[in-house]
Amino acid sequence: MKQGFRDVLGVLEQAGELRHIKKPVDPRHLSALAAQAKEATFFETIEGYPGWRVASALVSTRKRLALAMGCSEADIARRFEEGIRRPIDARLVATGPCQEVVLQGDDADLTSIPIPLMHVKDGGPYISATMVVSKDPEYGRNVGSYRMMYRTPRETGIDLVSSSDMRRYYQRALDAGRPLEIAVAVGVHPYEMLAASYKAPIDVDEYAIAGGLHGAPVDLVRCKTVDLEVPADAELVLEGELLPIGWTADEGPFGEFSHITGDVKWNPIFRVKCITHRRDPIFYMLQMPWENDWLAAPVIEAAGLQALRIASVEPVAIRAPIGGCCYWTLIASIKKRPGEGKNALLALLSVAEVKLAIVTDEDIDIYNPDELDWAMTFRVQADHDVLIVSGARGKHIDPSVRAWSLGKGGLPTTAKLGIDATIPEGVPKEQYERIRYFAKDAVRLEDYL
Amino acid sequence: MSPLGERLAADLRARPRHFAELVEAHPAVAWRDFLKAWGEVRTLSTLGRDDHGRYRMNEPAGEHGPA
Repeated sequence: MKQGFRDVLGVLEQAGELRHIKKPVDPRHLSALAAQAKEATFFETIEGYPGWRVASALVSTRKRLALAMGCSEADIARRFEEGIRRPIDARLVATGPCQEVVLQGDDADLTSIPIPLMHVKDGGPYISATMVVSKDPEYGRNVGSYRMMYRTPRETGIDLVSSSDMRRYYQRALDAGRPLEIAVAVGVHPYEMLAASYKAPIDVDEYAIAGGLHGAPVDLVRCKTVDLEVPADAELVLEGELLPIGWTADEGPFGEFSHITGDVKWNPIFRVKCITHRRDPIFYMLQMPWENDWLAAPVIEAAGLQALRIASVEPVAIRAPIGGCCYWTLIASIKKRPGEGKNALLALLSVAEVKLAIVTDEDIDIYNPDELDWAMTFRVQADHDVLIVSGARGKHIDPSVRAWSLGKGGLPTTAKLGIDATIPEGVPKEQYERIRYFAKDAVRLEDYL
Repeated sequence: MSPLGERLAADLRARPRHFAELVEAHPAVAWRDFLKAWGEVRTLSTLGRDDHGRYRMNEPAGEHGPA
């Protein structure tokens, strides 16, 4: 049987990575308190919201993501690859805890949910941990993740600016003059969130990818008011439709995954028809930017591994560091043959919007910043080992691409930087023999204390 | 509109504000009541945004003609 959101809380608890907050907390203070905790947070009493609890920062670190994925920190990409290689179809079940409480009509009121205000310049309270399901008559079901800004008791904004399958579905519905039904599941296992954020081909069911990650089918229930299916074990589900108004409603700013406050955007409006939830619901407040970033790490690292293999380079380890938002930077160690340092750089820089790639040898622990600095100091000659590629595709949210100067609809370009920190061709490996302490294995410090 | 909704609208008529500034200006209000009142303000056709992402109240059309 597959694991659920509450199982992850249990795993974190056992690992000493979950902090319980028993005192009542105002929803205005949830985000700031979660940000001050070293652990994931579980707020047991929410002022004005009896019966609700709030969890946050479940996967705010690589360690906690690895715990949720049941693997080592070094293996999150390989674990993700295994899952997407063997999708398992979802299974429809008759009932699920996500529909223990059903609220329709005037009772379908978003103010009944403790939606938090997260950041100083946000355009409103946000639901950040969404798994949004939609369907197109031709292409079928799609699952993605989109932030949603509270507007009124029945409406939210939804960020549908970036290219996505659901954006395409909405455009097709808009062209036909009809709304697009969607369902929003909140409080699902990180595997479902990973599957939702993975840009799968349009004919691939993200629920099957989630099943592959779990190694078991995801149980789904039919929604009450829309022709869609949601994970039966979700904490909360919003059912409704995107109004056929196009990109006309103000949405944002929001604290973005780049760790930067975004701009106001123009987006569609989601109108709620029905809210369902568990009898004892837990609202999941996805902590920006950390959880958003770490949920991208397995995807981008897996893409990096694939790019290296296509380039016939043998990877040893790969890391998308949080400093690059687990998106713009890739660091890899490889088993190098002559020339492969550069081949590996070219491969890694071809991945999505990666703009900084560092490649080193298998003897370097790429998770140790000091080791990496050492390799970049002594294995790099800048006039030979640094690649700069100009004019590659960039992303608006990166201030250094100066997107504001492009005018409406302008697409930014960026320069990409690669650093080959492998042992240069022609330099004998013996030149890098590390110092070793005499009699290291013969004596033990504790015997002298 | 509720008295709180009227106060939020008046705050925005006085000067543009980020959502968080509105929240800070009414710390004693229960969160759910604040969200309901904000929902009322959001339905006003005069609500707009400035270049900094702040909310503002635009003058109703025709109230002030060009000089």
